[in-house]
This record gives sequence, C-alpha cells and structure tokens, in this order.
Amino acid sequence: MSGSAGPDRTSGAGVFRAFLRRDLREALTYKFSFVSSITGILLSSATFYFVAKLVPSGAPSLGPFGGDYFSFAVVGVAFAGLLGMFQEGLAAVVRSAQLSGTLEALLVTPVPVPVILFGSSLYSLAFQVARTAVHLGVAMALFGLALGRVNVPGVLAVGVLTVLCFLSVGVLSASFILVYKTGNPFSWVLGTVSGLLGGVVFPVSLLPPWIRWISSLLPVTYALDGMRKSLLASASLADVLPDVAALAAFAAVLLPLSLVAFRLAVRKAKRDGTLSHY
Amino acid sequence: MSATPAILAECLVKRYPVFRGFRDLVRRPFDRRTVTALDGLDLRVDPGRVFCLLGPNGAGKTTLIKILATLVLPDGGRAAVDGHDVARDPARAKGAVGYAVGEERSFYWRLTGRENLEFFAALYGLRGPARSRRIADLLDLVGLEASADLRFNAYSTGMRQMLAFARALLAEASILLVDEPTRSLDPLAADRIRSFLRGELAGRQGKTVLWATHDLGEAADFADDIAVISRGSIRLSGPAASLAAGGRAALRRTYEQAVEESEAKP
Repeated sequence: MSGSAGPDRTSGAGVFRAFLRRDLREALTYKFSFVSSITGILLSSATFYFVAKLVPSGAPSLGPFGGDYFSFAVVGVAFAGLLGMFQEGLAAVVRSAQLSGTLEALLVTPVPVPVILFGSSLYSLAFQVARTAVHLGVAMALFGLALGRVNVPGVLAVGVLTVLCFLSVGVLSASFILVYKTGNPFSWVLGTVSGLLGGVVFPVSLLPPWIRWISSLLPVTYALDGMRKSLLASASLADVLPDVAALAAFAAVLLPLSLVAFRLAVRKAKRDGTLSHY
Repeated sequence: MSATPAILAECLVKRYPVFRGFRDLVRRPFDRRTVTALDGLDLRVDPGRVFCLLGPNGAGKTTLIKILATLVLPDGGRAAVDGHDVARDPARAKGAVGYAVGEERSFYWRLTGRENLEFFAALYGLRGPARSRRIADLLDLVGLEASADLRFNAYSTGMRQMLAFARALLAEASILLVDEPTRSLDPLAADRIRSFLRGELAGRQGKTVLWATHDLGEAADFADDIAVISRGSIRLSGPAASLAAGGRAALRRTYEQAVEESEAKP
C-alpha cells in the first residue's frame, strides 16, 4: 500500500523541483562544462561578427529583419540552438536514462510517464534558455548586436507556439528512441534540413525557388522569421500574424500526434520488454 | 489462506519478439518469431510470506518480476498485486509494490546516497520534514547512515544493494520484489542482505517478499515458500519446510528433477 505518497503529489511542482535539483547537482560535479559552454558562445558570436563584415549592411534580403547580417545570424544561431534543444532534448533524456540504466527505476515510481519525460528534460531546457539569453547578451555587450523596438506580444505569441511545435517534435523523437533506441529520423531530418533550409544563417529568400518550398514545410522557418521580425525589425503583431498562424497549424497537428505516438511507444516497449534496453 | 493474495498470476504468458537481422527482415518481412518467457504461469503468494522463486538462468524469473512491477506487459493471462491488475490498473499496482532493482546502474553515480534517496522520495510524493525523516530512518535501517553523504560511485556492491532496498522501501509498499539480490556479493554481505530481508522486512515489518534466486541454499534457509520455475512455468511449489525437509541435498534433488522434467518436454 502506498503510504503518504498520493497521485496528486507525484505530478506537481515538487516533482519538477526534484528533477531540477537532481540535474543541477549532477551538472555541478562537471566543473568545466559551464566554462566550455560560455567559450563556445563567445567564439560563435565572434565568428559571425567578422563574417558580417563581408556582408554589406542593408542587403535587400535582410531588409525585413533590420538590414544587419550580424544581428540576423546571431538571433538565428541563438534561437536555433534553443529550438534544437526543445526538439532533441526529450529524446536525449530517454536515451541517457536507457544508457545509464535509470529508466526502469524511474518508471516504477508512481509519477506519470509524461511527467518523467518533461521533468527529466527540464534542466537542459532551462539551461538552454539561459544560454540563449547569454548568447544575445554577449552579442549585445561585446559585438554591438542592436535589437529594435521589441514587439513583446509578437515574441510571446511566436515563442509559445514555437515551444509547442518543437516540444511535440521532441516527444515524437522520444517515442522513436523508446522503441528503436538510436537513429532518430526526426532529429536527422529536422536538424539537418532546418540548418540548411530554415533560414538559420541566411535568409530563406536567397534559396532558389525550386527548393524554397521545402522551407515552407519547416516550423523553424516561421519561428525564426517571426522572432527576428519581432526582435530586430520592430514588427507589429499583425506583421507576424502569418508566422503565428503557420506555427498554430503545425502545433495543432503535431501536439496530439506526438502524444498518441508516445503512448503507443511506451506500450510497444513494455510489450516487447525493451523499455530499459539500449 | 487469505482472501486477497499479495501476488496472483493466472495462466500468465509472455513472448518476446526475436531480434532479426537486415537479411531476415528483407527475406521474411512479416515473419513474427517469438521466444516464450512465460508459458501459462500460475502463482499465488499470500501476504507476509517470503516466497523464493527458484530457477535456472532464463527460466522466466526476471520477466515475472518485471510484469509485477508493471515494466513489461503480459501477452496473456493476468497478474495482480494486492488485488490490482498490473495491466489494467498499473498506477495502483505500482503503489502496492516496491521493486528493489539490483542493477547498480539504476542510481545516479555522481550523487550521494542521500541525494539519490531525496530524488526518488520526491517521486514517491514525500515532501519536507517527512521526507527527511523517512530518508534518515531508511538509511539507519539499511546501515548506511555513516556513508549517506558519500557519492554512490564510492559505494561497495553490498552498499549499493542496501541502498536499492532503501529506495524500494520509500513507497511503504506492502510487497517487495527482489531479483537476485545476493548475486556477486561476498558471503558476509550476502548473509547481511538475507538476514535483512528475512528478519527486518518480512519478520518485523510483515512485508511480502518475492525473491528470485538460483541459490538453493538461500531458498532453503530463508524462504517460507518455494516455487521452482523452469521454461516459463511453475514446476512445483510448496512450503520451504516441506520441500527442504531433507536438507539442501534433498531440495537440490527435487529441484534438478523438476528442471530436467521441464526440459525433457518438447
């Protein structure tokens, strides 16, 4: 019989705090990871700072985003890193728990599986959000990144829908990893293709028309477009409405699909007896 | 005999898909070959008993324990813990059992023993001073209070197993599932574990213990009941006092006969 543990106490804030505390404690035992992360941000910003000197300010393709290549690239890289974490973080925690052997110990607790999944990835997600903020801060302080008059409602609308889209892809990835362990196609397709066609380091408008249509199928295209316009070009909410609508459509499809896929994946792994295999 | 058994399995069947290589997948894409782990297994464990599941490697002991812990779904039959069906009502079934995962990798090696317990205690819904008290009590119970603040990777194998018991007891479940807890332990550490399971958990706390082992002496000396499992079903079962009445040698002969008979069947 379960003692003081009740179902209401195994899915709330206390559980998420426990996951955060666990991961923070583990992270603090790896002393150089934080230093290497900050060094990476500095090097990335410096690289784009010098590359930007090659790109004339006010290039037509950069017009909708404020006209400055350095700002365009830094916002793209900073947010692409964040989106990549949303997209791959959940699969990474499942894989890590399979490899470290902790997955079974987690799954015999009364905590619902989705809570375990989100709880386990919370620290990585929070760390990546902080990393993105530091990335933008470093670019502003050291390399002169100039944000426009930030459209807060636009940032929030694009941000929330983007998180829903990319977390859904993350849940799909985690479902795949639960069953097939490695070779996550969502990560490969979206990660690789998004880097090239999603407008991370150059505007999508530079792509030849015969390939540009693929960009319109990627949520990252709308996420970065909406975020850049809101942050760099002082765009109004109406200006980013097409991006918001596209992201809402992606979320409406991906969110329920991912939840069904995850339920089926847990069931299949339990049926095949491979929940803890790696 | 109690009305509600602590553990009940009826005609339990589990088949695992056989891993297939690329060539096989191309040649026979729709072939669904399986290996049978449990083959119509029936088992009843009454509350408060120490029940040893004795069987050779690959007999189905771990599969049965994982089904009871809700980690594996059965393909046929049914299993229930404390009256809760493990497939239909896994949430309540989980609340009824503590699963002492003997696997060392199931802990966070860079955290201390106490930090590991704090994390899992939160997952069992324990909060604040109640959680601290419970962890302190459990560390005391398993004899790890002095080494609670050492990192898990500094623990010996025996200490790790004791921490696994402490974690399984966080839930205050009435049924404890343990899978070969003395494997790879030195004789003294193994004896400490056996005494702890028998004396403290079953004797003093009145818990039901389902104990998978292939150590005949362990079963003879510490179990209330013994069942011999081979090729996925129970071949014989009964009170340890009766099955091991003629000593370990007699139990060994009975065990060997049961296993040989099961292996002789097609």
